[in-house]
Amino acid sequence: MATPVDQGALLLKRQLIDLQKKPVEGFSAGLIDDDDIYRWEVLIMGPQDTPYEDGFFKAHLTFPKEYPQKPPLLKFVSEIWHPNIDENGEVCISILHEPGEDKYGYERPEERWLPIHTQTLTSNLLLMWMLQKTLETTNLNSQKELPGV
Amino acid sequence: MGNCLKSPTNDDISLLRGNEGHSEPPDSSGLGPPPPYQETVPVYHPTPNVSRPANQLTEEEQIKIAQRLGLINHLPTGIFDGSKKVRECVICMGEFAIGDSVRFLPCMHTYHKDCIDDWLMRSFTCPSCLEPVDAALLTTYETNSSSN
Repeated sequence: MATPVDQGALLLKRQLIDLQKKPVEGFSAGLIDDDDIYRWEVLIMGPQDTPYEDGFFKAHLTFPKEYPQKPPLLKFVSEIWHPNIDENGEVCISILHEPGEDKYGYERPEERWLPIHTQTLTSNLLLMWMLQKTLETTNLNSQKELPGV
Repeated sequence: MGNCLKSPTNDDISLLRGNEGHSEPPDSSGLGPPPPYQETVPVYHPTPNVSRPANQLTEEEQIKIAQRLGLINHLPTGIFDGSKKVRECVICMGEFAIGDSVRFLPCMHTYHKDCIDDWLMRSFTCPSCLEPVDAALLTTYETNSSSN
């Protein structure tokens, strides 16, 4: 029986190969260091008809050893303005939050990380989420800049 | 949705860890006392972003985890024999091999036992249909008792 560590690395390898075989439009991924399967560099093309159109955004995905039981950490390397991304590029998005019961009752379990978010699904969700204009709690400064908020 | 506000009371386990952070480096001369005997204790995840060895859990967390373990043990298990339609465990994306231990959730979704048990200790929902497992367990009991 594979140990959890092996399982994560194996799954990531499979997902990277899948992504290279069946690329997701507007999204590409590769390893930062060829010897480290747990650290990916992803490139997101800004979806059409959004403020991000024509933009290329580079981000790093860091997977925990417990992947897929725990979510990866997503950090934008490129400068990007988004209500859910803080000035360091760190992303606050519920699908990348650790599973379990939110003690504040703010997020339902299904809004948080699930171990079946495959890479393809995650990248699709990320693209969709870039289109959302909902303001959330991470970047309070960017909220202040908006009139009427 | 997202809530990344840091809570000052959140997950502060530094006190539980004692003075681990300040401990003296091990005496390389070999004259110091031997290091304390340490068993490998299982690590649990009482709340999101918190992982703690079993011996550092609060009483409340211990009860919650014991209840969860009990409920998980109530879920049926089996050995994959190739007779079912499902071929793949969606958690590890690996194909079921004959002889693999599998667990069946009340919603009829099937996973490798190791894959789903680890997940259920973190979140008691089916990753495929998001059905809360405890609610589904109750429904199963009710259906069984009414049909008898």
